[in-house]
Amino acid sequence: MLRDIAKQRLLHVDLSDGKTWVEDVPLGDLQKYLGGRGLAAKWLYEQVPAGADPLGPDNVLIFSTGTLTGTSAPSSGRSSITTKGPATGLYLKVSVGGHLGAAIKYAGYDYVMIHGVSPKPVYLWIDDGKVELRSAEHLWGKGTREVDDLIKEEVGDPTIQTGVIGPAGENKVKFACFMVSRYNSASRGGVGAVFGSKRLKAIACRGTGGLRLAKGKEFFALARKVRGALAADAGSESLYNWGTAGSIPGLNEMGMLAAYNFSRVTIEHGERLSGQYLLSEGYLIGRESCFACSTACHRFVRSESRQWGSVFDSGPELETVMSLGAECGITDIEAVLKANQLCNDLGMDTISTGHVISWAMETYEKGLISPEQADGLDLRFGNAEAQLALIQRIARREGLLGDLLAEGTRVAAEEIGGDSWKWAIQAKGLEQSAVDTRAAKSYALAFAVNPRGPDHLMTETYAEFGFTQESRDVIRKVTGDEKYADPRLTEKRAEIVLWHEQCYGASEALGFCVFTSTAAFAVNPENMAQMFSLAVGVPYSEDDLMLAARRMVTIEKCFNVREGARRKDDRLPWRMMNEPVPDGPNKGMITDEAMLENLLDQYYTAHGWDLETSIPRQSTLKYLGLDSVCVGIPVIP
Amino acid sequence: MVEAHIVNIQINAAKCTACKACELACSFTKEGVFAPSLSRIRVMQLHEVGMNVPVVCVNCADAPCIEACPTGAVRRDASVPVVRIDEEECIGCGDCVRACPFGAADMNEERGVAIMCDLCDGKPVCVDHCIYGALSFAPRLPTAQVKRLAHAHTVAAQYRNR
Repeated sequence: MLRDIAKQRLLHVDLSDGKTWVEDVPLGDLQKYLGGRGLAAKWLYEQVPAGADPLGPDNVLIFSTGTLTGTSAPSSGRSSITTKGPATGLYLKVSVGGHLGAAIKYAGYDYVMIHGVSPKPVYLWIDDGKVELRSAEHLWGKGTREVDDLIKEEVGDPTIQTGVIGPAGENKVKFACFMVSRYNSASRGGVGAVFGSKRLKAIACRGTGGLRLAKGKEFFALARKVRGALAADAGSESLYNWGTAGSIPGLNEMGMLAAYNFSRVTIEHGERLSGQYLLSEGYLIGRESCFACSTACHRFVRSESRQWGSVFDSGPELETVMSLGAECGITDIEAVLKANQLCNDLGMDTISTGHVISWAMETYEKGLISPEQADGLDLRFGNAEAQLALIQRIARREGLLGDLLAEGTRVAAEEIGGDSWKWAIQAKGLEQSAVDTRAAKSYALAFAVNPRGPDHLMTETYAEFGFTQESRDVIRKVTGDEKYADPRLTEKRAEIVLWHEQCYGASEALGFCVFTSTAAFAVNPENMAQMFSLAVGVPYSEDDLMLAARRMVTIEKCFNVREGARRKDDRLPWRMMNEPVPDGPNKGMITDEAMLENLLDQYYTAHGWDLETSIPRQSTLKYLGLDSVCVGIPVIP
Repeated sequence: MVEAHIVNIQINAAKCTACKACELACSFTKEGVFAPSLSRIRVMQLHEVGMNVPVVCVNCADAPCIEACPTGAVRRDASVPVVRIDEEECIGCGDCVRACPFGAADMNEERGVAIMCDLCDGKPVCVDHCIYGALSFAPRLPTAQVKRLAHAHTVAAQYRNR
C-alpha cells in the first residue's frame, strides 16, 4: 500500500483481549510534536496513570518509527520505544536502529501501542495490513537469535524484520533489552522487562508498501545533499572505520575511560578494547548500516578463542567494551566479545550488565559480598570467567546474587548495605553509562537532568569538547562564543545542554540517528525542519522544530514530576560527585554537589521551571501549549 | 547477439552495509515514492552470516526474460544494449518474473506491470547513491579479471605463509 507520509497511523494492540484498532494521527498533532519521541511522550502521559506498576497491565509500550523513517533522509531509520521504565519507575524512552522501523512504516503504521497483559506468551505479526497475535509458547525461554530464526521459518520469509526479547526480558531483569533486526539493541532501563511482563516475546513485520511525500523531488535532492555532507564529515569517517569503539584510544589518553567501576579512568592495555584493535587483529569481518544510514558504524566480528570458544556477533559498541571490559577490569577482547554475545542472546543491556557486575566486583573485593553470597564465584576485577557465569545467572535469576543483581545496582546496594551505595554508579535507579562526567560539565548536567537516568543517550553534549570546527561552530551558535567549547567551564552549560536536548529530541522524533546531528553535524535543526516541511507539506521553521522538541522534554519532565520526582532526584552517582578523578590528565577534577546545584539553577531557569522543586511553571506550560496536556502535577504559576 | 554484457552494475557485496540507499533512490526515481518493494535493485540481508548482497539485473547475454515474454514487451535494442520492459506493451502476466534466475524482475502490482532495471539511461541512480563502494557502473564486465586477481592473492598468501 502506498500512502502519504503526513497521514500517520497509530496501531493499537490490546494484549488482554487480543483486540487491535487503528487511529489516525491529526496533522496538527504531528506539527506540534514532530513525531516519534514527541507524540509518544504525550500518549504515555495520557495513557499511564500516576503510580502505575511499570510491569503491570496499566503500563503501555509505544513503538514509534521516525516521521521521516522510510525516506532517503540520511540515517533516518531509527525507532524509539517509550514506556514507564522498570529500573527507575519513571519515564523511559529507548532508541534503536536496525530495519524494523522501516518495515513497520511500509506495512502502513507509524506507531504501535501495546496495551494490557496477554494471558499467554504471544508475538505480534504485522503482515502489511494484517495484524495477528500468535502463540509464542514454543519460543518462551529461548535466546533472541533462535527466536529470530524460528519466527522467520514460521512465517516462511527470512527477509522479514523482528524485535525480540530473550530470557532476561521474560524474567523481568531490570535491564533487559529488546533486540531489533537480530543485532540492534533497544537497551536501556529494562524495556525488555516490560515486554516480558506483557508476555510479548516479539514483534515481527513484513512491510511492502511505500511512502508518498508532499514535495518529493525537492526532498530527494536535499536528502542527497545532506547525505553527501554527512559521509564527508570526519566524525562519520571514524565511525565507519572503527565504529563507536574507535574512541577508546582517545578516551584512554584523555583520562576518560571508565575503568574498575569508575575508580580509575585509564586502563593498561586499554587499546585492546578499541575498534582499531578489532580491525588490525582481524576480528572485524564486516560493517553494517541501520536503515538508510550513511555512516555504517555497526559491525560484525568473529573470534575463535581457545578459552571462550567461537563467537560471531555484531558490535561491540564503545559502551559495551567499556562496561563489560574496562569497568570490570577486563582487557581480553575475546572475553568481551563472548560477554557481548551472551548479553545479546539473553537480551540484556550491556551497559547495565557491565555496571552491576563491576559494582559486585568492587563490593566483593571490599568484603561486603562474601564468597558464599557470590555462590562460589571469585568476583575479583579482571575475572572474565566469573563475569560470564554471572551474566548467565542474572539473566535467569539463578542463585542469590544472580537474582539480586537482576534488580540493578540501586536495589542490590540497598540489600547489601554498608557503604556499597557509594560505589553504586547509578542515579534514579539507572546505571550510569561508562562516561566520566567529572571533567565535563555539560555532560554532568545533562546526565543529572536526564529523565531516564544518567546516560549519554538522551542528550550527549559532545560539542563542548570542541574537537572539530563543526563542533566549535555549534558552541558559537548556541552560546555566542567559541571559547565556551571547553568542558571544564561551568558558564553557558545550560544553554549547551538545552540546545542538545532539543536537537536530540528533534532528531529522534524524525528518526535520525543522533550521531548525524550531535557527533557529526551534517544533519542540523535547519535542514531537519526543511526535510520535515518538504515531506509533510506544511511550512516549518527551525524555531518550530526546536520548540516541538522542547515540548517533548517538558512532557517527559512532567511525567516524572507526576510520579513524585523533584529537584533532589536530578543527581549524579555519589562517586561522580564526591571522588575526584583518580588518575590521568584530569586527575583531581570533580563536579561536586555545589557545582551541580549551580548548574541545575542555570538549567531550570533556562527552561522556566521552578528552582526549588524543578516543576515546570504553568506560564511555561502555557507558552508551550501544554497546560491542558500536563495536568495532575502541582501548579506553580 | 548484441554485446549485452558490456555495461552493467557491478556488485561488491563485501562493501555493502545494507543501508538500502540504492533501493530508496531507485524506487523514488522510477516510481516517485519511497518503496523498497518497487526498487529494481534489492539488497538481501543475510542476517545469520552478517553479509549483504545487492541483487539487480545482470543483463544476461541470453536473457530468459526476453524469451519468456509473450508480447515482446521485454526486449533489447541494438542501439541500447540493455534489457528493458516497454510498459505500454507489458500485460503484467509475470512470466519474466518467473523466468529470471536472479529475482531481478518483479511486479508493480498496483500499476499491473513488470519492473526491471534499465540502468537509468547510463547513469544508474543507485550507483550514485551508494557511498560505500558496493555498487559501481563499469563499462566492461571485469568479473573474470577480478576473480583471477582474488585467486592470485589467495595463492600468494599461501606461499607467503610457508
